[in-house]
Amino acid sequence: MTAMSMAGFPILTTILMTTIVGLLVIIFIPPEKTKLIKQVSLASASIGLALCLWLYHAYNFHKGGLQFVERVVWVRSIGITWFNGVDGINLPMLLLTAVVLFTGVWTMWELEHRVKEFYALMFLLVAGVYGVFMSMDLFWIFVWYDVALFPMYPLIAIWGGTRKEYGAMKLTLYLLAGSALILPAILFLWAKAGGHTFDLFALQKIGFSPFDQKVAFLMLFLGFGILAAVWPFHTWSPVGHVAAPTAVSMIHAGVLMKLGAYGILRIGMTLCPQGAVYWSHLMALLGTIGIIYGALVGLAQTDLKYVIGYSSVSHMGVVGLGLATLSVNGINGAVFQMFAHGIMTALFFSSVGYIYDRTHTKIIPELGGLSKTMPVASSFFIFAALAGIGVPLMASFWAELLVFTAAIKVFPVAGVLALAGMILSALFMLRVVQRTFYGEKNPKWEHIPDVSKFLAVPRVVLMSCILFFGLFPKVMLDVIQSTVIPFVTRF
Amino acid sequence: MTDFLLFLPELFFILGALLFFLFSLRKTPNPAGYHRWAVVIAAAGLLVTVACSHQDGMLFFNCYRVDLFSQIFKVLLALGTIWVIFSSGELKGIDSRQHAEYYFLIFVCTLAMMMLVSSVELLTIYVSIELSSYSLYLLVPMRRGADRYSEAGIKYFMIGVTASGLMIFGMSLLFGVTHTTYVPQLMKVLPAVITQPAAIVGLILALAGFFFKLALFPFHIWAPDVYQGASNQVTTYIATVSKMAAAAMIIRFAGLSGAASPAMIKLLIVLSIASMTFGNLVALIQKDIKRLLAYSSIAHAGYILIGILTLTTQGYASAMYYAAAYLVMNYSVFLVIMKVADDGHNLQIKELAGLHKRSPLLAMTLMLGLFGLAGIPPTAGFTGKFLVFAAALDKGYLFLVIIGMVNATISLYYYLIVIKAAYLLKPVKEYPAVHVDLWTRFMSIALVVMSIYLGVFPDQFLSLTEAAARTLF
Repeated sequence: MTAMSMAGFPILTTILMTTIVGLLVIIFIPPEKTKLIKQVSLASASIGLALCLWLYHAYNFHKGGLQFVERVVWVRSIGITWFNGVDGINLPMLLLTAVVLFTGVWTMWELEHRVKEFYALMFLLVAGVYGVFMSMDLFWIFVWYDVALFPMYPLIAIWGGTRKEYGAMKLTLYLLAGSALILPAILFLWAKAGGHTFDLFALQKIGFSPFDQKVAFLMLFLGFGILAAVWPFHTWSPVGHVAAPTAVSMIHAGVLMKLGAYGILRIGMTLCPQGAVYWSHLMALLGTIGIIYGALVGLAQTDLKYVIGYSSVSHMGVVGLGLATLSVNGINGAVFQMFAHGIMTALFFSSVGYIYDRTHTKIIPELGGLSKTMPVASSFFIFAALAGIGVPLMASFWAELLVFTAAIKVFPVAGVLALAGMILSALFMLRVVQRTFYGEKNPKWEHIPDVSKFLAVPRVVLMSCILFFGLFPKVMLDVIQSTVIPFVTRF
Repeated sequence: MTDFLLFLPELFFILGALLFFLFSLRKTPNPAGYHRWAVVIAAAGLLVTVACSHQDGMLFFNCYRVDLFSQIFKVLLALGTIWVIFSSGELKGIDSRQHAEYYFLIFVCTLAMMMLVSSVELLTIYVSIELSSYSLYLLVPMRRGADRYSEAGIKYFMIGVTASGLMIFGMSLLFGVTHTTYVPQLMKVLPAVITQPAAIVGLILALAGFFFKLALFPFHIWAPDVYQGASNQVTTYIATVSKMAAAAMIIRFAGLSGAASPAMIKLLIVLSIASMTFGNLVALIQKDIKRLLAYSSIAHAGYILIGILTLTTQGYASAMYYAAAYLVMNYSVFLVIMKVADDGHNLQIKELAGLHKRSPLLAMTLMLGLFGLAGIPPTAGFTGKFLVFAAALDKGYLFLVIIGMVNATISLYYYLIVIKAAYLLKPVKEYPAVHVDLWTRFMSIALVVMSIYLGVFPDQFLSLTEAAARTLF
């Protein structure tokens, strides 16, 4: 099937509907039929994944631009449209969401506590994420953004671990404080453009005065920056990761944080290019601080999930730095990093989740020598750690390479400091790997079985994703670049 | 000759009230029978109001205008009334000897508010608002063990008469400045003289009576005590139905000055900010759920005012949308309260513990209602906030919108605490099972569907409110 013959079919809405229909079906299944609930969840996640893969395949990157566009007028008087489409920036994000949802559902196969509510909320969350990534109408982007945020509260507070209620409340309030800046910014731009359309590209054509762009961009950057864990608004993120159950950590760190960076890129930099230029130094500064700060704090942690949480802060700093360069390589790298980091963190949390479910601890000194008792489970974590360090042949290697080459050109000092930060992060990752998986074997964990073949599947899927895009980065970069090259001409 | 048809909904409620007046004269009360009668009358009243919703005309020497604006609010009033009456099946908070009077006063009050939203002459407005206030003054202390709650009744009465005193004084000033009591005339004359202090003071004082009804800062002091002191059903009525009438009248009056009075707009902005911030901050520490909702209603009065103070068609339309959304969301929450506390006591937040096990449906209704109040999509509450803020930014009030959004975030904290109680807390003692009858089941699902439908597909209703707002000019 070619893209042309499918032109009339609303493929994007269908992808969105896989989650909403999944959610509705789950609601009508009696709560004691947990097996059926999980099967339905996995089925609808697989359909979503298949559709996203097809979409990725069918996207014509030679042509570039917005494809698979769907447009329906929603509210005429103030100009809201149901407007979806994909280009090189959101296509990798949709694929990422599908992969992480699929593996997340599978990873949680052993869940027994309030199963129905868990999967229902998870699908609601992912519906929001899909919605943000595919919408090109500011109203819908905001609606889906909020839909993606609030299920986090029950998901963490009910099924979470360490200090779950505190973590859930902190996370929810932080993120909604972010949307308290985003909504006024969106409405501000809408009103300045005459108040008759929320269509992203129509607004882009209208253009805004430099002053308005500076104001709006700052609000959007801070608002979305909270979700992207930009330093100093990152404090909710490690606490939230630690408190959340495994699949939620995966979706949260893997996909949800990307919404923040995506929002800055999609709304902020698209509508306020001059604002972005004006504030790019601030973005670069905060990104660099994030890289170094995340690595340094990560060094001092003893909890595996905190380690990953701070490494996420550090890696999201790379995304921020890449965006701040406002250059082809930098933004290419940032988008690629969003994808690579999403898959990598999902693998991290997935493998820690297995260890934690068995040992009921994630404190590094209490573990130790795990590679001898459960070699497969350990190998997943070690693989993710290598990807996190940015070893060649892993997807994140290319992403970081692109960002740093661009950064050293545009912000030499920040670029060099950020590189130093990456070395620090390599140090702390290796230290964690060494302490947890090698060294003295803790006899307490000897009886624990290794990962079964069934539960290994989602982790292997994630690993092969990292490896595939590490070996063939062109598959992704061609797509991203097709949109980024025309995009940077506006700065 | 067909003029009386314009007055049909009101006539219908007059007849209903008369019937219950006769019932109240009987020696042996029959609560179950009264409830059935009340349901039938209120349901028929709703049907009549809906049937009359496209009428247009003037009555009573042009004191009384029937147009789309008034009819939409009448439908909302009738809808809220039937919801409250349906939930009065087990009116355990009120002595069974007073049930006939309870229904009588509810019908009179609805009648008065229907007259209020149609009145376009100052004295007619005053008479209508007093009629509705006096019914409420009687309803509030009507509760079993009234001496414990009599403070609420007295407080409500004292503040109410103060507000109406201010209001009639303001109206007299308006008459003095403009030599007319007709609202359409005032609209023509007032913008020319609005620079005179007497005109501004008159207009603001005239608004005071409606601010009192809406529980807007600084006329909010009665709300927490009255919400707590009145029986659950009466609180529901005050919190839902009477707010509709107040919102309608503020919309009608705020536009009187035209757009030419910056002082007036500044004052409204200050009141709106004070109301939102005060309501939300004090709500954070409440333990009694009705008190919490009282403070939340103060905050919501502020949000509605944001739409109104833009003085644009779009702003009025968004405020009307917000009011309708507020009716749905607030009633969802009160429905759950009335059911969980079906013996009529005041519900504490911690008593909701484990509600998701005792009744999953009510827990979900409560959650969606509270998410609506907090302004989280895809509920009508979110779309309402979005529209109100959009209208405000169209006039360039960026700062006001940021404060509004910060307030929405603060409010989320205390709504989440209630949701947490329903979904997470383990009950400290065994609470009696919640009895959910078929009607409640149906109503819960209907409210959830309504809230989401209005939120996701606002276009139809919004164009209706826009048409209604245009009739104001």
